[in-house]
Amino acid sequence: MKNRYHISRKIAVVTIIATVLFSCEKRLDDLYSNPNAVTTIDDAALYTKAVRSLFLETTDLSASRFAGHYGHYFVAGSTARIPDQYGDGFDNNYNAMFDGLYGGAIRHIEEVLTITSSPKTQNPVRNAMANVIAVLAYAKATDAYGDIPYTQGGKGKTENIVHPSYDTQESIYKDLIARLTSSISILQGADAALGYPNSEPIFNNDMEKWVRFANSVRLRLAMRIRFADNALSKATVAQCLTAPLMETNDHNAFIIQTEGTGNAWFNNRTGFPSIKMSVRLIDQLQGSADPRLSVFVSKNSNGTYSGMVNGLDDTAFGASNFADKSDIGIPLSSPNSKIYLISAAETWLFRAEAALVYDEDAVVANQMYRQGIKTALGQWEIDASDIETFMGSAVASLSGVNNEEQIGTQLWLAVIPNYFEGWTQIRRTGYPVIEQRTADNLSQGVTNGVLPTRFLYSSFELNSNYVNVSAAIANQGPNRIDTPVWWDKN
Amino acid sequence: MKNLLRLLSAMVFTVSGMAQTSISGTVLEKDSDLPLLGVSVLVKGTTTGTTSDFSGNYSLNNVAEDAILEFSYLGFKTLEVPVTGQVIINVRLEEDGQKLDEVVVTALNIERDKESLGYSISQVDATQVNVVRENNVMNSLNGKVSGLQVTQSNTGVDGSSRIVLRGITTISGNNRPLVVIDGIPIDNGGGGTGQGGGVDRGDALSDINPDDVASISVLKGAGASAAYGSLGINGVILITTKTGNKRPGIGVSLSSTFMFTDIMLTPNFQNEYGTGFFNDFAPINADGKPVLDYPFSWSWGPRLEGQSYTNWLGQTDSYSPQGNPYKDFYQTGYSIANTVAFEGRSDKTSFRMSITDEDIQGIVSNNTLGKQTFNIRGRSQLTDKFSIDGKMTFITSKVENRPDLAEGNGNTALQLSLMPRDIRLTDVRNNTINAQGQEIKWNLDNTFNNPYWALNHLRNTDNRDRFQGLLAIDWKMFKNFSLTARTGMDYRVFDYTSHGARGAQSIKSGLGEYSHNNGKSRIWNSDMLASYKAEIGGFKLTASVGAMHRDEAFNNQYINGFDSKVRDFYNISNYKNSFSSESITKKAITSYYALGQFQWGGYLYFDTSLRNDNSSALPKDNNSYWYHSENLSFLFSRAFGLNPKFISKGKLRASHAIVGNDTGAYRTQAFYNVDQTVTLPYTVASIPGSLPSFDLRPETSKSWEIGADLGFFNNRLMLDFTYFETNTKDQIQAVPISGASGFETVVVNAGNIKNNGIEVQLNAVPVETDNFQWNLGVNFTKNNSFVASLNEGLSSIELGRLWSVSVEARPGEEFGGLYGNDFKRDNFGRKLITDNGLTQRGERILLGNINPDWFGGISNTFRFKNLSLSTLISVQQGGEFYSYGRAYRTYFGTDKRSLVGRENGIIEDGINENTGFKNEVAAPAFLKQFTDIFSNEVSKDQVLDASNVKVREVTLTYSFPQTILRDTFIQSASLSAIGRNLFFLYNAAGDIDPEAGYSSGPTGTAFEHSSLPSTRSYGLNLKLNF
Repeated sequence: MKNRYHISRKIAVVTIIATVLFSCEKRLDDLYSNPNAVTTIDDAALYTKAVRSLFLETTDLSASRFAGHYGHYFVAGSTARIPDQYGDGFDNNYNAMFDGLYGGAIRHIEEVLTITSSPKTQNPVRNAMANVIAVLAYAKATDAYGDIPYTQGGKGKTENIVHPSYDTQESIYKDLIARLTSSISILQGADAALGYPNSEPIFNNDMEKWVRFANSVRLRLAMRIRFADNALSKATVAQCLTAPLMETNDHNAFIIQTEGTGNAWFNNRTGFPSIKMSVRLIDQLQGSADPRLSVFVSKNSNGTYSGMVNGLDDTAFGASNFADKSDIGIPLSSPNSKIYLISAAETWLFRAEAALVYDEDAVVANQMYRQGIKTALGQWEIDASDIETFMGSAVASLSGVNNEEQIGTQLWLAVIPNYFEGWTQIRRTGYPVIEQRTADNLSQGVTNGVLPTRFLYSSFELNSNYVNVSAAIANQGPNRIDTPVWWDKN
Repeated sequence: MKNLLRLLSAMVFTVSGMAQTSISGTVLEKDSDLPLLGVSVLVKGTTTGTTSDFSGNYSLNNVAEDAILEFSYLGFKTLEVPVTGQVIINVRLEEDGQKLDEVVVTALNIERDKESLGYSISQVDATQVNVVRENNVMNSLNGKVSGLQVTQSNTGVDGSSRIVLRGITTISGNNRPLVVIDGIPIDNGGGGTGQGGGVDRGDALSDINPDDVASISVLKGAGASAAYGSLGINGVILITTKTGNKRPGIGVSLSSTFMFTDIMLTPNFQNEYGTGFFNDFAPINADGKPVLDYPFSWSWGPRLEGQSYTNWLGQTDSYSPQGNPYKDFYQTGYSIANTVAFEGRSDKTSFRMSITDEDIQGIVSNNTLGKQTFNIRGRSQLTDKFSIDGKMTFITSKVENRPDLAEGNGNTALQLSLMPRDIRLTDVRNNTINAQGQEIKWNLDNTFNNPYWALNHLRNTDNRDRFQGLLAIDWKMFKNFSLTARTGMDYRVFDYTSHGARGAQSIKSGLGEYSHNNGKSRIWNSDMLASYKAEIGGFKLTASVGAMHRDEAFNNQYINGFDSKVRDFYNISNYKNSFSSESITKKAITSYYALGQFQWGGYLYFDTSLRNDNSSALPKDNNSYWYHSENLSFLFSRAFGLNPKFISKGKLRASHAIVGNDTGAYRTQAFYNVDQTVTLPYTVASIPGSLPSFDLRPETSKSWEIGADLGFFNNRLMLDFTYFETNTKDQIQAVPISGASGFETVVVNAGNIKNNGIEVQLNAVPVETDNFQWNLGVNFTKNNSFVASLNEGLSSIELGRLWSVSVEARPGEEFGGLYGNDFKRDNFGRKLITDNGLTQRGERILLGNINPDWFGGISNTFRFKNLSLSTLISVQQGGEFYSYGRAYRTYFGTDKRSLVGRENGIIEDGINENTGFKNEVAAPAFLKQFTDIFSNEVSKDQVLDASNVKVREVTLTYSFPQTILRDTFIQSASLSAIGRNLFFLYNAAGDIDPEAGYSSGPTGTAFEHSSLPSTRSYGLNLKLNF
C-alpha cells in the first residue's frame, strides 16, 4: 500500500512536469509578437512622416553646413565653417545626409507607394500624391550626389534590395518628369476624399493646389535640365504651361514645424555654432534696396548690417570680428518660421526664364519676372508701399542686357530659406556668379577655389555597396566635390 | 565571553538529538589537536549516528557493546573504532595524504572529476578573487586563465568590462560568455557607450560579490558549454558561491579591504606654447576678451615665457605653463569593502549568511558607488533521499555621476586635455558660472564644457536593486535513479536619472535637460534532469534526460524633458517640453536534452550530449534547432601504468560540438512605430531602420578541440595544452547596409567566421620545502579570427566607428580590421605633397587589427613560512587601436607631439605632386596637424600598437601563525597588502593606455577617445575567522 502511494506520487510528479513543459512550448508562440509596435497601419501616417521628413531635410546638414555656405548665404562659426573652405573631409556628414534622405522621406514614401498600388489597398489619388513627394525626395538626392540608386533605391523592404544599383542622373530626371506628368493627370479633377483628408500637412488635401504644386515641381525639374537635355526641357515646359501652376503665395508649399524646439534655424541662430549672414547676400540686398534685407538679415549690435566674407582662411577669420556680424533674420529663424519646398515666386521666375529662352519673348519674360519678384516680396509680408517702391527700381525689371543673370539672382533670393535649392540654382545657371577664390586670405580647399558641385559618396557607402557605387563613379567621374553632376553644364 | 560564543554556536550548529549518552568523546585533528566540527559518527551497519559539534564533542546512546563506530570526515581517513564496552572514545583523525581528484563544476552544475573531461576547463579558486578584491569580479580573472581576455573599460567606478573567450566568433553578437551562478544563468549584458559620449552604466557582472565566490570554472569551448545550448555559444563562466563549511570556531568570518586609487597614466602634454594661433595671441574682441573660438582657443600661440598677455577672462596675466591638469583635477579615490559571513554545517544541513558593504570614491570627485549585498545560502538533507539547496541574494547599489565619456560634452578628460597650456585650473574652477547662471568657458565650442561646470551641473544617479533567488531539489527516487530540479531568477530593477542644468549652450542650447529612465529585467531559468547510473563490469554509464525553460522579460519607461522653468529643480514637471517612451521585450527558450557519460576501466571517458532549443525569437516554423557534443578523455598514464614519479598525470582529450544560436526578440517581423508627437494635428508613424528577415535560420557554430593535460614529477610540473577550431556559420546579424536601400541594417544569416587558437597553461612548483614554496604559472593564448565569407554582395561589415576610422569584418581578412585614410602616395609609397607643403588624403586602407597576436600571464607565488608574495604580470603582443584622443590633442596643440616644427614649420617627407622633386616646403605645424587629422581625416598616425606588459597584481599576505592565535577566539587571520594595475613594464603606445576604451562591446578595444586617466589601486585586505 505504501509502495503504491509512492509510485502514484511519482507519477503525479511526472505529470506535473509534462504539463509544465507543454505550457512552456505554448508560451513561445505568445511571445513572438512585438508589443511595442503595430504590424499594420493606415498609409496616411507613413505619408505624413514622409512629407514631414522632406520638409525637415531642407534644414538639415545639407543646408546648414554645406549649401548655405556654397550658396554664399551665410558663414558658420567655429569648425562648422570648414565646408566654407571647400574642403571635403566630411565623411560622416556625407554619410549622414545620404542615409537621412533615404531613411527619411524615401523609406516611408516607398512604403506608401507600395501600399497604394497593392491590389487590396490601391488608391490612385494617394499614389499620385505619394509620387510627387517621392520625386522631390529623389530629386534632392540626385542633385546632391549625382548618380544615385533610383529604380532600386529605397526598396530594401518593398523589394528586398539591400545593394541597390545606381542610375544615371539623366535617366532619373527623365523618369521623375514622367512620374510627375502621370501624377498630375490623376490629380486633375481627383476626388479629394480619396486623398489624405485630415492628414495632409501641405495643402490640407486641396486637390486644386496639389495640381499646381505638382506641376510647378515639374517646371522646376524641366528647367533644371535646360543645359543638359534642352529638347526634353523645352517640351516639358510647354506641357507645364498647359496646366495650372503656383501663382500666389496661397499656393506655396510650406509647413510650420513646432515640434520639439521648432524651426531648426532658431537653434542655428541662438545656439552654437552661430551663423552669420554673408556679405554677398547683404551686398545684393542693400545694393538693390531690397526690402527683404530686414527679413533675411538681423542688424548687429551696432545697429548695422554687417556680413561675413565666405571662404576666409583661419587667420583672416580670426581678424574678421565674426562675433559682431549680422545674424540670420528673425522671420527666417523663429521657432514657428515657415519651411518651404517650393514657392509661387520661384515658379514665376522659372516661367520668366522659360519665356526668355524658349519663347524668346522678352516682354512676357519681364512680366513673369516682375510677378516673381512681387510674389517673393509678398511672401515675407512686406508693406505694400515698400513693394511698390521696389517694383519701381531698376532691378525689378529685366534690363535686356543681363536678363539671365537678373533672373538667376532673383531665384537665388526667392528660394530662401531653402538654401540647398539656392546652391543648386547657382550650379545650374552660374548665377549669381561665384568667382574662383584666388585672394591670399581665401581658402582654396580641394577644388582650387572653385565652387563645389556635389557631395561625396561616403566611405560607408563605398564599403557597403562597393560594386554599385564603383560603377557610378566610373560613369559619372571621380568621387570629388568638384565633379559636376549631369545637369550642371555651367 | 568565550562561553557565550560557545553557547551561541551550540544553539546554531548542534543538530544532534538531546538523547541520553551512552558513549561520548571528542574528535580532534591529528596534527593540530584542534577540534573537528561535523565529523560523521556512525554505528557501522546501522543508520544510527551523529556528528561532532563545535568543540569536536559527540555523544550516542543505546549503542551495542560490540558495535563499531565509524568516524568519517571529508579529506580525512575514515577511522573505525570497536566500542568494546568503552563509554568515552576520543579519536584523532588523520588527513588523507592521497589527494582527492580535482573536482570541477561543469555545465548544468554537475560536479565532475577534472580528469574525466574531454575539454579544456580552468578553475579559479576563491582566494584569487576575494583577496585582490575588484568591484567587478571578472577583472580579477585577467591574465589568469588562458583563452580569456578581459579588458576593463576606463569609465569611472563600476565601469563595464569586455570579456571574450577564445576570440570573437560572431560578427554582431555581444560575444560575451554566459555567466552561471550556482546553476542559474544570469544577465551578462555589457556596457559602455558610443563615440558621441554618454556614460558607462556598468555591466551585470559587477553585482557578483567576490567575497561570496567559492570558485569559478571557465568552460571555454562549445564541447564544454553545449549543455547550455545557444546561451553558451560564447563559452561559460560558472561561478559557485560559498555554502556553509565545517570548520573550527564559531563560523564567523570577516573580510575588510581598503584600497586607494590614483592616476597611473596621463597623456604627455607640451609645456612650451599656450593659447593663440600661428604663434601669436588671439585677437582681442570689443569686450576685452580674446576670441574664444577655433582656432584661437587652441594651444598654437606664442612660446610660454611668462610674458604679459590678456587671458581668457580678459585679465592681464603672465603667460606661463600650468602643468598637468589631470593631476590637479582628479583626486585619489578609494574603495572600502567589508564582508561579515556566518556559516556552519552539520551532516545534514549547511548554511551561510553574509552581508557586504562596499563604498567607492572615484578619481572624479563626484563619482561614487555604494553597494550592499545580502546573501543567504542553505542546503539541507531532508531525508536520506531528498535534499534541497536554496539561495537568496539581494544587492542594492547606487552610483552617483558616472562620468561622461568620449565626445560627450561632460567628458572632463576631453575638456582638460584640450585646455590651452597657459590656462590655470584654479581660474577655471573660480570662473564656472556667471551671475546670470550661464556657464563660463575658455572656448565657445559646444563639444566641451568647463570641467567644473560639468562636475557640478551635469549629473546622474543610478539606483539598482537586484534580487537573485534559487531553489533546487535533488531526489534519489530509486536506486541508481535521481532527479534534480532547479529554478532560479535574476531580477533587476533600475532607476536612472540625469540632468544638465540650464545655462550651458551645449545642453539643449542653454535650456537645460532632464531624463528619467526606469525599468526592470527578469531572467527566469528552470531546469530539471533525471539521471540513471549503471555499472556493468568495468563499464560505468550515466544517462540523463532533462529540460530547461528560460524566460526573459525586460521593460522600461523613459521620460525626457528640456527647457527648465525653475533653476536647480530636477523633476519632469519643471520642463516645458517633455517626451516619454516605453518598451517591453519578452523572449523564451524551451530546451530538451540528453546526456550520456561512459567510463571504461577508470581511464577512458566518453561524454555526449544532444540538445534541442526552441526559441520564441525565431519564425514559428523554423524555431527549433538541434546540437550535440562529444568529448573523449583518455588517461594514458593510468591505462599504461606509467611511473608517477616521472609522469604523474597523462591525459589526452578531444572534443567536438555543434551549437546553434537564435537572435534577439522581434527581429523577424515587420512593424511600424507610432511617433510621439505633441503639436501635430495628424498621426505620424515610422518604419524602423532595421529590416527584418522573415526566413532566419538558427546560426550554427561547429567546433573541435584536442588537448593534453600532463603532470610530471608528482605533479610538480603540469602542462595543459589545447588547440581549437571554431567555425560559426549562418550568423544572424543586423548587417549595416547601403543607406540607399532606405534602411540602415538588415537582419540576415550572413557571414562565416573561423577561429582557431592555441592555449597553453603551465604550472610548476620549482621549489618546495617545509618553509618555502615557489609556484609558477604561465598561460599563453593565441587566437585567430578569420572572416571566411560574408553575405553575398557584402564587401564589408562595419562594426564600429570613431571619427574616420572604422573597425570592419571583410571577407578573406582577419576579423576586426581598422580601416582609415592613408596619406596620398605615389606608386612607390612616397607621400604626395602639395605646393603648400601639405599632405593629402589618400586611399582608405587597413591600418591595423584589434586582435592581439597573442596574450598571456605570468604568475608567481612565493611562500615563506607564513608570508606569501604573489605577482601577476599580463602580456599582450600585437593588436592595434585608434586613439582619437591623441589626434585631438595633436591638432589642438596640447600634446607633446605637437611641439614638432612649431617655429620653423614641418617639412613633410615626400615628393611634390607637381614637380616630382623632394618636398622642401615647410608647412606651419598647426596647418599640417589640423589638415591631416581634421580636414583630411587621415588617421594613419593615430593607429597605435596595443602591445603591453603590465604588472596586474602584487599581493603580500601574512597569515598569523596559530601560536599567536591559540589563546584568542580568532581561528585564523591574514593580512594582505595589495596592488592592482600598478604600472606598465612596457607600453608600445607610450602615454596612452591601450585598454582605455569607452565601450566593453566586442570591438570596444578598437577605440580610445580622451579617456579618464588610467588608474592603479593599492591597499590592504584583512581576513579574520572566528
